[in-house]
Amino acid sequence: MYITDLYAISPQKTHDLSFENGDWQVLNEYIYKAIEPSYQDVIPNSQLRRMGKAVRMGIGVSLPLLGRNPKPDGIIFGTANGGLEDCIKFLNQIVEYNEGVLTPTNFVQSTPNALAGQVALLSENQGYNMTHVNGSLAFESALLDAALYFDEHKTEERRILLGAVEEISDYNYNIDRLGERFKQELVSNEELLNSKTSGSYCGEGSTQFYLSSNPENSLAKFSAFKQSSHLSQAEIGDFIGSFLAEQNLQVSDIDCLLLGKNGDVSTDSWYEETEKLFGAKPTVYFKKSVGEYRTVSAFASYLAVQLLNGKAKHLVENSIPTEPKTILIYNHFDAIRHSLILIQK
Amino acid sequence: MAEIVVTGMGAISSIGLTIAENLHSLKHEISGIQRAKHFKSHYSDSLVFGEIDQSDTSLLEELGLEKGLGYTRTTLIAIKAFREAVANAQLTPEDIASTRTAFISSSTVGGMCYTDDLYHDANMQGSPSEYVKNYEGSDHALQIVRLYGMKGITDVVNTACSSSANAIALGARLLETGKVDRVIAGGSDCLAKFTVNGFNSLRILSEEPCKPFDTNREGLSLGEAAAYVVLERKTDVSGTKKIQAAFSGFGICNDAFHPSATSDDARGPRMAMELALKRANLNPEDIQYINAHGTGTPNNDVTESYAFSKLFKNVPPFSSTKSYVGHTLAAAGVLEAIYSILAIQNQEVYPSLRIEEPIADFSFQPTLKYTPEVAIQHVLSNSFGFGGNCTSLIFSACI
Repeated sequence: MYITDLYAISPQKTHDLSFENGDWQVLNEYIYKAIEPSYQDVIPNSQLRRMGKAVRMGIGVSLPLLGRNPKPDGIIFGTANGGLEDCIKFLNQIVEYNEGVLTPTNFVQSTPNALAGQVALLSENQGYNMTHVNGSLAFESALLDAALYFDEHKTEERRILLGAVEEISDYNYNIDRLGERFKQELVSNEELLNSKTSGSYCGEGSTQFYLSSNPENSLAKFSAFKQSSHLSQAEIGDFIGSFLAEQNLQVSDIDCLLLGKNGDVSTDSWYEETEKLFGAKPTVYFKKSVGEYRTVSAFASYLAVQLLNGKAKHLVENSIPTEPKTILIYNHFDAIRHSLILIQK
Repeated sequence: MAEIVVTGMGAISSIGLTIAENLHSLKHEISGIQRAKHFKSHYSDSLVFGEIDQSDTSLLEELGLEKGLGYTRTTLIAIKAFREAVANAQLTPEDIASTRTAFISSSTVGGMCYTDDLYHDANMQGSPSEYVKNYEGSDHALQIVRLYGMKGITDVVNTACSSSANAIALGARLLETGKVDRVIAGGSDCLAKFTVNGFNSLRILSEEPCKPFDTNREGLSLGEAAAYVVLERKTDVSGTKKIQAAFSGFGICNDAFHPSATSDDARGPRMAMELALKRANLNPEDIQYINAHGTGTPNNDVTESYAFSKLFKNVPPFSSTKSYVGHTLAAAGVLEAIYSILAIQNQEVYPSLRIEEPIADFSFQPTLKYTPEVAIQHVLSNSFGFGGNCTSLIFSACI
């Protein structure tokens, strides 16, 4: 699966490409909100008004990508929650109007497959179309789906639009706050990993990739990935070790690590265990840039592609890799669901 | 390509708490669509529902689960159907937990089924509810993953009303490409104010029990169900394990027409059926029964019939079993896949109930009465969803 193009809307300035070229926004907020472009040239105003944030960000990334690339054979998205704000707006109507006569806009926009459906509609694409909602492994599931698709169509050149989207609304922020996922106190994202308290800060955004079976002009490739659930800290070494062995790789073959450390003292130890396994490696802690959300591994993958193409070097800690060729991403959510993604030049 | 077979099935719906009970109702034309006993809503007295006749408390007790751990109704019915399916396929706890076993589920309402609790938590009214960590669409699957200590590939898809049909297709693809050795695939959706009000706001709910493919159909009836199938490669099945049916092919595409309606020329439904036939290496005349999507809305039934008329020279017997259970949303694809398999196993067609006057625009009409002794080798099962997602599955008798 070769990556031939990519684009993202995130809490950093990825929308105008300044992030990968050296810009870094210091964030002093509980919520790392996406920096959205104006969308004026991309989405017709009449449609923009009706779109919830998840659909808006998703379309805002899809349409520029589709505009500058040939028509894809399929559209595959991963999102844990889809348009949650629309969902809860509709829910509020249900309760506040005691199930009276309601308008359907919020309901239709709230279904997680609304984005993939809208992209198909706007680009008149009747091809394969799928939405994965596998929680914090939703992007990994979409990735697996894309890999199966390319496997099944080996004889011809195929292209897939693969993406992820997650939005923060006040409501899901409230729910996750009640669920004790977020920090009570405020520190800046520069200090996030030294905060010594539980929880993190939440982020959002949409990251999308244009994939092809043809390696020509590719920026990088998704070489392998693996998921598991409920791994103990003691099992993480085996999980990573066997993944590398399956790919015929040694620890020394990994040029750069992208780790999902998020400053939560109760679960960062899984990452520390991983760092012990690799010793001193050039490392990017990507949640310092965009916070914690359930499809953040898509953003990490975006970052890996930038690093493999000589960009975003300002984010690398420990030491700077010279021309990295192989990058490993390890991410987990609540230490329950774990994922590894290998991206190579 | 490896031949994929179904080795286990489990289902809970308004017409039965097990596969055997579902089969009994199908054979005896017993509909489950009526006034709700357990589901509380403003519409409880004015609309009818395909409600599972078992309370949350009774489910929790029967399944031996502890109270207060965030088991929603979506999760409870999912666990019940999952258990029946894995037992039917003789999977051991080690098989289920293995990294070579994939679990692909689906749901639309997911963990948001208790609308009022969600309202309080989302608006931070009072202390957090028991379900504050269980609202995600994937929560039911995550609970099952935890209960069974599953270490392999997991996924949850949501393509609205075609969700679990896609879960089955995805499972088959994982087996065909050798990524795993067995797959448990299906879905779960329970009745919720959220969905009932959503469909009501679109004005596509029928006041009377739905009557798909009737000229005077007024809309759909919502139902609840959970169902799972176990899929394996035929070459891996041995011993006393029974092969239920073969899974021969699928077609997946997008109608790319409207967020909540099917195109007049039914290009999406047609393409899905054509792709499924192609993948199964079959011709339209090889199909002996179609389990239609048949929601009972004016739009769906006429466009689906139109698609049949274009694809089939002679339209085979078809029916909508949604006339028994209502539209069970994410669970509909897998539940109807199971009904299709039962039709093959018993060589019989379950009818579309309550039709007084079949749609007149076509020269063919659905099966109106339970019909035994029908030679059925291949069944096509349709599922179309909001967002334009169209999926067709083909199941075959396994020789």
